[in-house]
Amino acid sequence: MTDISRHSPSLWSRLLRDGLAHELFRSHIAVLSALVVLCLFIVAIGAPVLAPYNAFDPGSANVADARLPPGAHGLFGDYYSLGTDPQGRDLLSAMMYGLRTSLAVGFGSVALAALVGVTLGLFSGYFGGITDALIMRIADIQLSLPPILVALLIDGVTLTLLGRSQHDLLAIPTVILAISTSLWVQFARTVRAQVQVEKGKEYILAAKITGVGTRRMLTSHILPNVMAPVLVIATVNLAVAILVESTLSFLGVGVPPTQPSLGTLVRIGNEFLFSGDWWMSILPGGLLITVALSINLLGDWLRDRLNPTMRTL
Amino acid sequence: MAFLLSRLVHALIVLLVTGFISFVIIRYVGDPVNNMVGQAATLAEREDMRRALGLDDPAVLQFARFLGDVLSGNLGVSYRYGEPVAKLLLERAPASLELSLCAMLLAAGLGIPLGVWTAINRGSALTRILLTLSVIGVALPTFLVGIILILIFSVQLGWLPAFGRGEVTDLGGWTTGLLTIGGLKALILPSLTLGLFQMTLIMRLVRAEVSEVLRSSFIKFAIARGVPRRKVYYRHALGNALLPVMTIVALQFGNLFAFSIIVETVFQWPGLGLLIIQAIQFADVPVLSAYLVLISGVFALLNLTVDILSPIIDPRLRVASHRGRVA
Repeated sequence: MTDISRHSPSLWSRLLRDGLAHELFRSHIAVLSALVVLCLFIVAIGAPVLAPYNAFDPGSANVADARLPPGAHGLFGDYYSLGTDPQGRDLLSAMMYGLRTSLAVGFGSVALAALVGVTLGLFSGYFGGITDALIMRIADIQLSLPPILVALLIDGVTLTLLGRSQHDLLAIPTVILAISTSLWVQFARTVRAQVQVEKGKEYILAAKITGVGTRRMLTSHILPNVMAPVLVIATVNLAVAILVESTLSFLGVGVPPTQPSLGTLVRIGNEFLFSGDWWMSILPGGLLITVALSINLLGDWLRDRLNPTMRTL
Repeated sequence: MAFLLSRLVHALIVLLVTGFISFVIIRYVGDPVNNMVGQAATLAEREDMRRALGLDDPAVLQFARFLGDVLSGNLGVSYRYGEPVAKLLLERAPASLELSLCAMLLAAGLGIPLGVWTAINRGSALTRILLTLSVIGVALPTFLVGIILILIFSVQLGWLPAFGRGEVTDLGGWTTGLLTIGGLKALILPSLTLGLFQMTLIMRLVRAEVSEVLRSSFIKFAIARGVPRRKVYYRHALGNALLPVMTIVALQFGNLFAFSIIVETVFQWPGLGLLIIQAIQFADVPVLSAYLVLISGVFALLNLTVDILSPIIDPRLRVASHRGRVA
C-alpha cells in the first residue's frame, strides 16, 4: 500500500512517467473495458440528442404500442429496435436516459463519498489523538454494516420523514446522500493510513521547519501524495454505487419513476416477467451488468497497475 | 480477557447508538399520537394521550423507557398491521432464517472446495473459467440473478415455483418449508440467488488464503516428507487458511440479512426482508425502528462471536494478544 507514493511526487507525474497510457494498450481487457466505459459515457451524456425518442415526453409515448417486442413497428409506423415498455415508450430511449440517471447518481455518490472520506481521513491521520479515535470508531461501526443496508435504511427513513410527494422531488439527492454515507469509510481509512506514512517523512518535516501552515500542509503537501489509492477506490466504488442505486430503485425506494434509472426499468419490466415479456427487464439489466462489469475490470486493472503488492490477490 | 472486555464494551456502544437512532426515528418521525387517535379527537384528548404515553417527559427518561421496552420485547405496534411488532418479527423470522441458512450452506459447501481446487490447479483452464465467472458474479446485481433464474426455471422451463414458500408445516410457532417437497422446491431458486454472490466471495477468499499458505515452507516440507497430497492440501493448507475464511463467512451471514431484502422482494418470500421493505414503502415507523434494533443486535453478536472464536481456532492469536498486553 505504502510504496506507491514513496517514489513519486504526485499521481499524475507517476502516471506519465510509468507510461500508464502505454500499459493500458498492452492489456486487452483493460482497453476493451475502457472503450465500453467511454461509449457508455458518451451515450449517457448525449442521450437527449442520440435517443430516437424522448423517453420523458408523455407525447411520444403511445399506450397502443405498449409492450411490443424488440424490432416491432408501432401503430403509427414508429420503429422500436428494442421494443417498448408498459407505457408504450421506446425501450432503447428509456435505457439511454436510464443510463444517464444511473451514472449521474453513481458519480454524485462517489464524489461526495470521496470528498467526505478524504477530508476525514486527512484530519484523522494528520492530527491523530481524539479526532482520529472518534472518526475511526464511527468508521468501524459503519463498516460492520453492508452498504446496501445503510443506504436502504437512510433512504427509507428519509422517505418516511419527507412524505411521498416531497420525496419524489428530493429523491435523487437523497439517494446520493444515502449511498455516499455507506461508501465514505473506505476512502477515510485508506487516506488515513497513507497520511500516517507520509507524515513521518522528511519533506513534511522540512516543510514544517520552513513554517508551512497546517492548511497548506494538508492541501498542497500531503493530499497530492495520498491520491493514487483514492483513484482506485473511486473507480471500484463507482460500480458499487451504480449497483446500490439500481438495487434501491428496483426495491422501489430509489429514484422516482418519473426519472427512471436502469434499476427502475428492471423493476417495471419485472412486473411483466410472467407474461413472457422478457425484454423489458433483461435488456436494461444486461446494460446494467455491462456498466458494472466494465467499470469493475477497469478498476481492477488500475489497482494492479498502481499497487503491485495487491496483484497476488 | 481485557481484549474480550473491550470488544464487549465496543459492541454495547454500537447497540446503544443504534438504539438511540431507532428511538429518535420512532419518537420524532411523525407524531405517535396522531397515529393512534382518530381524526375526531379533540386537542384535550390528544394532550391526555400524550401524557398517558409519557411523551411529555424529558427525552432522557423517554430513551431509558424505550431501552427498557426493547429489552422486555415490547417493540411497539405496527401502523400497517395493527399488531405488535415483536409478534410480526417472530412470525417472519423462520422464513428468513431457513433461506439464509440454505444459502450459506450452499455458498460454503461449494465455495470452499472450489477455492482450494483453484488454488492447487493454478494454471488449469477450469480455474481460469471459474475466476472469470466469479468476476462477472461480483458485477451481477442480486435482483438480476433472481430475475434471470425465474425467467429460465419458472417461466421457460416451468420446473420450479417463482414466488412464495410453497407448502409449509407448522411446528408449534416455527413454520418450516423443509419437510415438504413443495417447500423444498420453493427454496431452491431463492437460496441459489442469495448464495451465489457469497459463494464467489468465499471461493476467491479461500483461493487467496490457500495460495498464500501453499507458499510457506512447512507445506514444502510436508510434501518433501511424502505426506499424501490430499492431506497436505485439505488438512494443512486449508486448516491454516480457515480462520480468515471463517471470519468472513460469519460476517457474511450478517450481510445475508441485507441481501435477503432483495431476494425476498424478487421471490415474494414472506420473511423479514419483505416485511421491512413494505414497512419502508408504507412508512411503518415502529417496524422500521424495531428492524434497526434487531439488525444491530445481530451484527454486534456476530462480530463478538468472531472475536471470541478467533483465538480458539488459531492458537497463534492467543500469543499475539498476550504479547500485546505486555507491551
